Amino acid sequence: MAQPLDYRTLEAAATWYVQLNAKQPNEAQLQAWQDWLGKNQAHAQAWARVEKLQRQLGNLPADVALPTLAGVRARRRAVLKTLAMLMAVGATGWAVRESTPGQAMMAELRTGKGERRQVRLSDGSQLELNTDSAVDIHFDGEYRQVHLHRGEIMVQTASDPAARPFEVQTAEGRVRALGTRFSVRSDDGRSQVSVLQHAVEIRPVDNPLLMLRLDAGQSAHFDHQRISPAHTAAPGSGAWTQGMLTVIEWRLADFVSELRRYRPGVLRCAGDVADLRLSGAFRIDDTDTILENLSASLPVKVRYLTRYWVSIEPA
Amino acid sequence: MSAPDHAALHTLYSEHNGWLKNWLRARLGNASDAADLAQDTFIRVLTARNVHAIREPRSYLGAIAHALMVDKFRRKALEQAYLAELATRPERLADSPETRLLILETLVAVDTLLDGLGERTRQIFLAVQLEGLNYVTTAERMGVSVTTVKKHLIRAMTHCLLLTDD
Repeated sequence: MAQPLDYRTLEAAATWYVQLNAKQPNEAQLQAWQDWLGKNQAHAQAWARVEKLQRQLGNLPADVALPTLAGVRARRRAVLKTLAMLMAVGATGWAVRESTPGQAMMAELRTGKGERRQVRLSDGSQLELNTDSAVDIHFDGEYRQVHLHRGEIMVQTASDPAARPFEVQTAEGRVRALGTRFSVRSDDGRSQVSVLQHAVEIRPVDNPLLMLRLDAGQSAHFDHQRISPAHTAAPGSGAWTQGMLTVIEWRLADFVSELRRYRPGVLRCAGDVADLRLSGAFRIDDTDTILENLSASLPVKVRYLTRYWVSIEPA
Repeated sequence: MSAPDHAALHTLYSEHNGWLKNWLRARLGNASDAADLAQDTFIRVLTARNVHAIREPRSYLGAIAHALMVDKFRRKALEQAYLAELATRPERLADSPETRLLILETLVAVDTLLDGLGERTRQIFLAVQLEGLNYVTTAERMGVSVTTVKKHLIRAMTHCLLLTDD
């Protein structure tokens, strides 16, 4: 029979939650928490409320809920800031335009975890940002440049009447477009390029004499010195623009680290199950469902300690 | 519901319904909204099952009606803010009406939960719980220590747990 819970019990549950959510708890902490839970019925009842609250919050998409809850003033500021650089073009995306003709255009675009965004640049080129990505756009009389600070983008270039070259720069080097559609991803000191149409040229930042031409269907990665040989692009490498993640015979650990890009918080994969293999096409907009379904295809169980602390363990 | 309860509610309704509708109409400026909210007020009384304990019927009914009015306005304000937010996010236009309704209901519930919290506590709670920031990043953003972040979180969490049903 449920009993009314007193303030101190609820505060204790809240304190446990806040401590466990701080960083990856060690075994001793987890044991202490288990001991507390088992100590009396009220503790378990209080923790059930913690879980209920987390489920409720889990229903909210952060991208919409945050600005809504943050209030009208903050929302209006954010919208004005975005509008200063961007102009909406119907329901499919955003356009970036010079404020006055001929003036250099600069814009910063960011996406949060789990967010994707599409923009149309002033020359008609299309830019799509994947999750957790940051770019600066710099167009002037001579160049069309996109600096990719982190994350992943898909570029569809438009031909430019002024014939200005179109380049994507990462920390590791430059990718020049030769009238084309291609994706660039940059993380951990490595850039990865895949070409879907036509061709690009890659030049590492510290080795300007080195150049590799990649044609449609090819992929390569490079650091600030070296470029890998061109190889066939993995099937589904541009699928993220459709909100899909396609994997074939991936290690579970690699799959989980890919999911981490799309999901805030801690997502852990136990060593015992790291080498299990999986294949499939997954909707990356909904990592909760991916995690829910994981135990149907693999001998694993997914444990939610908190909303942002999830661990995948042997079943 | 026992027969005496039923009789008591009936008395309450016949004696005060007209007054309540006028009271609400004066505040809402609209007779049909007033009638709806008066109805909702009596439903609240019915489900609370404490008709006998009511000593001052008009101030009790007024208090419930007032709370319902606040809920209604809060809901309306949130709904507008939510729709405005959706309009800036074309990729969300594909959400089904059911999904939107669920999100709106949850927004109202969460907003109500956070109502009694101070602005800073609320911001910290949202940064950690919704945005998924860790404590260090939250502390940097708010210009406070990690210990302070934890204190605010514990306060916010306890507050929410008090208002959460089993």
